Amino acid sequence: MVVLSAARWVRSRLTDRFWRVQEVLKYARHFRGRKNRCYKLAVRSVRRAFVKSTRARREKKRFLRALWITRIEAASLEHGLKYPAFISNLFKSQVELNRKVIADLAIYEPKTFKSLAALAQRRRQEGFLAALGDGKEPEGIFSRIVRRY
Amino acid sequence: VAKTSLTSPPWPEVKLPDPVEEAKFHAEVVQKVNKMIAAGQYGRLFAVVHFASKQWKITSEDLIMMDNVLEAECGDRIRLEKVLLVGADDFTLIGRPLLGKDLVRVEATVIEKTESWPKINMRFWKRHKYQKKKIIVHPQTVLRINTIDIFPCLS
Repeated sequence: MVVLSAARWVRSRLTDRFWRVQEVLKYARHFRGRKNRCYKLAVRSVRRAFVKSTRARREKKRFLRALWITRIEAASLEHGLKYPAFISNLFKSQVELNRKVIADLAIYEPKTFKSLAALAQRRRQEGFLAALGDGKEPEGIFSRIVRRY
Repeated sequence: VAKTSLTSPPWPEVKLPDPVEEAKFHAEVVQKVNKMIAAGQYGRLFAVVHFASKQWKITSEDLIMMDNVLEAECGDRIRLEKVLLVGADDFTLIGRPLLGKDLVRVEATVIEKTESWPKINMRFWKRHKYQKKKIIVHPQTVLRINTIDIFPCLS
């Protein structure tokens, strides 16, 4: 006779409980205390560790950018320029290097960084001169021609 | 006219050097650098290259790994355009923003195309019975920078 469904009095038993537990414990082996051995404690710690790592992956970008900015600020102060002046003048002279690369240059290529600082300083002075204008006095209020239409 | 706090600007007055003399000085410097490049008097060159939406500071014989797929087979030679900066010990060539293709040549070879280690994305709200776990594996490519060449065509 053909039996299509299993008999109802056969119960299935879990046979790979060990490996399911090891899947979680393998991520907890370097933890401190009983949470690296006991499954119940480990499950909670491993879950928190995963959540923290996902959040940290997003915050790592912010943290690294702040680090680069601090380094560039320190290096540009050595050459007598403040960070906002340095970065804004570099961008105005159409040099599009990002902060990571400028920080690396400041560490490993000091001469190149000095030339970049000199470039920014020169652009800054040209900007000041352009802002001053011609140096003439503005036209008088009463001598201005007002057209009424 | 009396001098007030606003007669002179708050920044110290600076005089720029004479433009004619400056142009002469610039031409001299450019010629010197051209001669140096033509004579080959530079040691190791480094370059800043924009590639895969990131900027890299590279020298010859170094490895680069990027988190995406390149449409080139393993062992293909690739030329990296979009060079932002090239430098040696005595001179640097800064591009505004890019340097010309007839000035610099950066060659690289594709070495490896693998997948990253399985990164785990997990979200969990306590006391709300909400948790999601996702394993992300994204492709990576490894390039080795073979050479960086510069040619003496400055003007």
